[in-house]
Amino acid sequence: MLTKIVSKNFEIPLSNTLDVALKNGRYSSLKSVFEKEPQELIDIIKESGLRGKGGGGAPTGNKFQIVSDWQGSKYVVVNADESEPGTFKDRQILLYDPHLLIEGIIATCYAIGSNCSYIYVRGEYEEFSDVLQAAVDEAYEKNFLGNKAGYLVDITIHRGAGAYICGEKSALLESLEGNRGHPRLKPHSPEPEFYFGEPTLVNNVETIASVPFIVQNGAGAYRAYGTEKSPGTLLFAISGNVNRPGVYEAEFGVSMLEYIEKLGGGVRNGKKLKAVIPGGASTPILPAHLLNDARLDYENLRALGSSLGTGGMIVLDEDASMVKALKNLLRFYHHESCGQCTPCREGSSWSDKILDRFIDKKATAADLDILKSLSKSMNGKTICVFAPAVSGVIDGFLKHFEEEFLECVK
Amino acid sequence: MKVIINDTPIECKEGELLIDVMLANTINIPHFCYHQDLGADGNCRMCMVEIKGQKRPQIACDTFVKDNLEVSTISENIREVKRSILELELLNHPVDCPICDQAGECKLQDYYMDFGLYDSHLNTPKTKKGKNIDLGSNVILDQERCVLCTRCTRFTSNITKTGELGIIGRGDSARVGVAPGHELNNPYAMNVVELCPVGALTSKDFRFKQRVWFLDSAKSICHGCSRGCNIHIDYNETKYCDEKVHRFRARRNSKINQSFLCDYGRLSYRELNESFSAKVSDVKDLRELLKDVKKVALISPSMSLQQLKFVKEFCQNRNIELFSTAYIDESFSDEWLRTNDKSANFAGVRELGINSCEEEFFNSLKNAEVVLNFDHKYLKENKIEAKSLVQFTTTNIETGYELIFAIANFAHESGTVINCDGIRQDFYATKYSDNNPLLIELLEELK
Repeated sequence: MLTKIVSKNFEIPLSNTLDVALKNGRYSSLKSVFEKEPQELIDIIKESGLRGKGGGGAPTGNKFQIVSDWQGSKYVVVNADESEPGTFKDRQILLYDPHLLIEGIIATCYAIGSNCSYIYVRGEYEEFSDVLQAAVDEAYEKNFLGNKAGYLVDITIHRGAGAYICGEKSALLESLEGNRGHPRLKPHSPEPEFYFGEPTLVNNVETIASVPFIVQNGAGAYRAYGTEKSPGTLLFAISGNVNRPGVYEAEFGVSMLEYIEKLGGGVRNGKKLKAVIPGGASTPILPAHLLNDARLDYENLRALGSSLGTGGMIVLDEDASMVKALKNLLRFYHHESCGQCTPCREGSSWSDKILDRFIDKKATAADLDILKSLSKSMNGKTICVFAPAVSGVIDGFLKHFEEEFLECVK
Repeated sequence: MKVIINDTPIECKEGELLIDVMLANTINIPHFCYHQDLGADGNCRMCMVEIKGQKRPQIACDTFVKDNLEVSTISENIREVKRSILELELLNHPVDCPICDQAGECKLQDYYMDFGLYDSHLNTPKTKKGKNIDLGSNVILDQERCVLCTRCTRFTSNITKTGELGIIGRGDSARVGVAPGHELNNPYAMNVVELCPVGALTSKDFRFKQRVWFLDSAKSICHGCSRGCNIHIDYNETKYCDEKVHRFRARRNSKINQSFLCDYGRLSYRELNESFSAKVSDVKDLRELLKDVKKVALISPSMSLQQLKFVKEFCQNRNIELFSTAYIDESFSDEWLRTNDKSANFAGVRELGINSCEEEFFNSLKNAEVVLNFDHKYLKENKIEAKSLVQFTTTNIETGYELIFAIANFAHESGTVINCDGIRQDFYATKYSDNNPLLIELLEELK
C-alpha cells in the first residue's frame, strides 16, 4: 500500500545533505528539464493531472499556465506554512528531503519563467527551517542555485510569525510583503496571485516536490498511480487514536479503513473506530458507519459530505467525546481567525464560548439552535474560506453527533 | 447600460461599483468599511446583496456592474443575511448609546432599526477591550464600540501616509491602536472621527457638548485657507436657545477636498462663536468721519464676492482708496489641502480688480487721515499710529479705535467665494440669528 514517490528518500540517513541527496537521484531531473522548452514542461504538468496538495486540489498545470502567460517579472512562492491541526506532511519533506523541494523549485521556475523564489515557512517550524536553509546554502555552494547555475534561480526562506491564516495564499503574500496577514479580496476573473504587483505562483511544498518526478518520468508515469480524477500519490498523515501515527505516502483512491489498519496500525488499544476527520481539522468529520467504502480521493470524500483536504486524518475511537473534540477545534479557530471579516471574527469566538457552556453542562436547547444559526451566518459570507471551514466543522459534528450535544443540555 | 435593483432599472456606467450606483440613487445599502474616498476593503460584509444567478450573497462594494444585472437588497433571504451579520457586529458592542456621542448619527443604530430589531441571543460574556484611550490630536478611542472597518487605519496608511493607526491583535482581540510610545499626530488627524461610522472614535473637542439631534446644518465653505474645502456648519437649532456653532464637518466634493478637512480648518469654527465685548459705535459718527479727508480702506480677502463688490462701490463713491492683501503663510501650506494663503477669496479680490499691492497700500496708509478696516487681520493685529482707524470686525477686538462696528461672520451671510484653483462656490447662512448686522446692511445705512 505504501507508494514512495515524494517520500522515496525519507528513510535514507542524512538525506538532507547534498552529497547523499545527489547519490540518491536528486537534481537528476534538471537535465531533462533544461532540454525542454518551458511550455513543454507546463504541458507535461497539465497532462499529469497534478493537483495542488495544500488542501484545495486545484489543477496545478493551469496555475502554471496563467502565471507563465502573464506579463511581468514572475515569482514562485512555496507555501510551507503548514499549520492545520492534523496536517504534518510538508515538514517531512523539509526535514528529510529538502533538495527535492529545491529541485522542484528550479524546475518550476524554469517552466513559468521565474528567477526568484520564496519559501514561506511556518513560524513554529524553526528546526525544519534551519535544515532547509542549510540545504539551500549547499545548493548555492554547488551552483544549483544563484548566478553560476545553468538557469538562475534564487531562493529566500521567509519564516512566518505564527499565524495559521498565512497559509491562505493571499494572506501569505500580504505577510511576505510585510503587511498584516489578511486574505485579499478574490479576483473577478482568472488571474495569478500578485507579489508586489508581479505575477506569482503560490504552491504547496508537496506539489512542487512532485514536479521532478513528473518531468523526469513523464505524465503517464504519474498517472499510473491514483485515480482518473485524482492522479498520483499524496503524503497522507494519520494521527489520533491509532497505533502508528505518522506520514505514509499512498496512491489516491485507496480505502481509508485499509489505510488506517495497514499503515496507521489500526485503532489504539483494540477500541472501535468512532469517526475520522479526513483531511486536516478543517474538513467535516465523518462517523465510522459512513466509512466502509470511503476512498482517499477528492471525489469520494466529497460525495460523503466531507473533503480530502490535505489528507491529514485524525482518528477518534469510541471513547472520544465529540463535545470535547469540537471544543478543541473551535478553540483553535477562535485563536487563529485573522479578525478581518465580521462573521469570522465574531463567529469563531462566539462559537468557541458557546461550546464552553456544553462542556460545563450549562447549555440550554437554545444554545444548540444558536450554534446552528451561527454556523449558517459564517458560511459563504467572508473573504476567505476560514469561516466556511469552521461552519463545515460545526455542521459535521452536529449532523452526526447531535445526541452527544443534547446530553450536555441541562 | 443598466442594472435592475429591486425590480427597478437604474442607469449606470461600465466599470462602476454596484455600491456606488446604489449610493448615487439613494438605495439603502448598509455598509461600514466601504467609503467613497477610501475605496473598498470588503471586511464588514454589511453590503451583501442577492444577485440573480449567484449561489451566494455578494458584497456590493466588490461587485462591478454588468448590463441587466439583477440585484435584490430587500428579499427575505438577504434581509436575514444582513440581520445575522449585524448581530455579529453588535455582539461584543457595549450598547452604551445613552452615553455615546455618536448616538443619532451611528450606523449601528441606523442599521439595527432598518434590518435588526431582533432580541439579543448573547449567552456568553462579552469581550473586553480598551476604553477612553487618548490617541492624540483630539481623538478618543473606545475599542469596544469599534466594528474594525479599518477606515481610520486606511486613512492614516493610504491618505496621510503617516501610518499612526493600525490593527493590533487578531480574531476577537483585534483592535485599533497606535504603536507603544506613539500617538496620532498629523494635521489631518481628526478626519478619523468623521470617518468612523460608529462611536469608537470621538472628538475631544465635540464630545459631551451637544446631542446631534439638536443640531441643524448649513452648507458652507471653510474660510481657513484658499482651498475652499466644502463643509457643513453644524449649529444648534434655533429653538434650543443657545445659538452656537458646534462643529464643522467635511462635505464631500470630489474636485476639492473629497471627504476630508484639515484639523486647523475643522477647528476654525471656534472663531464663529466669539462673543463681542467691545462697545459698538454709532453709524452717525462714521458719516461724520468720512467728510473731506484722505481715506484709505483695507478689506479682508476672506470676504465674499458680494461683500467685496459692495465695498468696492461704496469706496468708489466716497473716494476711498481700497486695498486687499492675501494672508500669506508659507509654513501653513502642504502638498495636500492646506494652501499658503489663509484667506478664502483672494481669487475674488483679483477678479474684482481690487488693488492688492502691499507697497502701494503702505504708501497710501502714510498719507491717510482716516483708515477703514473691513475685518482684515493685518489692521486688527498690528497697531498703526496717529490715524483714525475704523474697525468693521467679525471677531472680538480690543478697544482703543476711533470707531468699532461688529458685523456678522460668514455663518450668517450667504455668499460666493473663489478658491485657489478658480472654482467658484456658494455658501449658505445658518438659520440662527446674529445680533450683529450684516456688513452690507450696515453700509446701506450710510447712504
